[in-house]
Amino acid sequence: MKKLLVPVFFLVIATSAFADIARPEKSPKSVKKPAAVDTYLSIGLDRDAKEARLIIPRSQLKTLRAELDAIDNGSDTAVTATSGGMSKVQTIASGIFISLAFVFAGIWFARSGKLSTRAAAAGAVVFLFAGLAAIVYGNAGPPSEARSITGKMFAPAMHIYKFGGGKIKLEISDTEDQVQLIVPDPQEPKPAAE
Amino acid sequence: MQEIRVRPFALTSAHVFLGAFVLACALAAVLIGSFPLQLSIVTIFLFAGPHNLMEFRYFAARMPVRWGRSKLFYSVGIGGVVVLTAAYLTLYFASGNWLWSLESWQIYAAVWNTALILWVGLLFYLRGKQRRRDWSIAFAAAFLLAGLAWIVPQYWSLALVYLHPFVAMWFLERQIRRTRPEWLRAYHLCLISIPVFLILLWTLLAGQPNLTQETNLFWRINQHAGSEILPSISSHLLVATHVFLESIHYFVWLLLIPLVDRRAIPWRLNDVPLFASSRGIPKIFAAFLIFSAFVSVALWFGFAIDYTTTRDIYFAFAIGHVLAEFPFLVKML
Repeated sequence: MKKLLVPVFFLVIATSAFADIARPEKSPKSVKKPAAVDTYLSIGLDRDAKEARLIIPRSQLKTLRAELDAIDNGSDTAVTATSGGMSKVQTIASGIFISLAFVFAGIWFARSGKLSTRAAAAGAVVFLFAGLAAIVYGNAGPPSEARSITGKMFAPAMHIYKFGGGKIKLEISDTEDQVQLIVPDPQEPKPAAE
Repeated sequence: MQEIRVRPFALTSAHVFLGAFVLACALAAVLIGSFPLQLSIVTIFLFAGPHNLMEFRYFAARMPVRWGRSKLFYSVGIGGVVVLTAAYLTLYFASGNWLWSLESWQIYAAVWNTALILWVGLLFYLRGKQRRRDWSIAFAAAFLLAGLAWIVPQYWSLALVYLHPFVAMWFLERQIRRTRPEWLRAYHLCLISIPVFLILLWTLLAGQPNLTQETNLFWRINQHAGSEILPSISSHLLVATHVFLESIHYFVWLLLIPLVDRRAIPWRLNDVPLFASSRGIPKIFAAFLIFSAFVSVALWFGFAIDYTTTRDIYFAFAIGHVLAEFPFLVKML
């Protein structure tokens, strides 16, 4: 075990090539802060709304555009910086390397002669359960209430997810003076009196 | 009748070492916790150049005149340092041109990370072969870490920032084992005290408001400590933690390693095989040492004239000395 831990810990430490150097930014030379406009957001529940809408006053949109224009390649930086998740290249590369890690670890165990039949069986069972758990939890999404912007997403039961999202319509308004988020709040049909 | 003997307490150099270390850490924690941005600027200004010089001096003292059985190990080690440093500088300075999109730069950076991890894995394997042991498990560990570096590159980079100072502490541990074994227990107690100071810092600073980012320099310091990756944690805490660990790492290279290893004392060149041996390269060695000293002084002037730009340039080139640590650390295992 010690033999296993030492190289793992060593490699964690040893790969500190980024450590004494400045941690790379999204781009090494994009040192300016992203554009931002201080504003006020009002969120309103609307029983009559059919879809979620985000209304942005035209004046604030102009201000934001001016901020973006002031930054070289501003649109590219903003789009890339806000895109979350893993790219295909990341997924493929990480998958290959983790697979190779298992292969090399298996070869090492086999060569070291420490792999007894019982240990191999126990390892296989653990990997089977771990794999199944990964599939189950990996594909399990949040409930529908957290995946659509409605009044239900504010319910206490949804707080545990700490996030929520859904389709939204962006609108530009000439009349509003603050950003507004209109959230549909359809009423549940009341059960008939018994 | 049972005789009870009371052993009188005798103050040893190990006790003094432990007391001084803990006292210095306490002082550093108080100062850095109170003025993290200021201390970040001051410590880099004062110690960045000299600690590089001391590291070079230390590695040079450990380099044998003839590599012998270690020829392959040193070739891979030094070759890796040169190639990876060149690749890193190319990535760092060429990435701003219009040919490189942000996505392609991120992929190149990830490829560089992977190369670095595999290089270290290879060094470990070669060292195992020298010691007639099977350390091929290093490849499995390297591939696993490479996979993680691709999955969460931002957390990976940030983890490295915080782990790097511990490399110096590891060097010191290996060195104490060799030259001052009577200090080993005291040093282990010193190492145990570091998490205690960190927990104290985190307890006191967790509720502090974020540090100012009103200048480009302050923003860079905040960002270096991970304030953008961990926005829910006070940047005061992050910067203070980083500066605290970095200060210990400077302290180790500049003071503690020369204290435990006579060969690391800068002016004792007669203990350096490359300089003193009849088969050595004394002129080249002396020239390189003088050049390194000159660079340290030039860095001070640079920091005094334009701190932010000099800091960026320093951190780009500092990759060379950071990479050079690995072959020598692996060789000490």
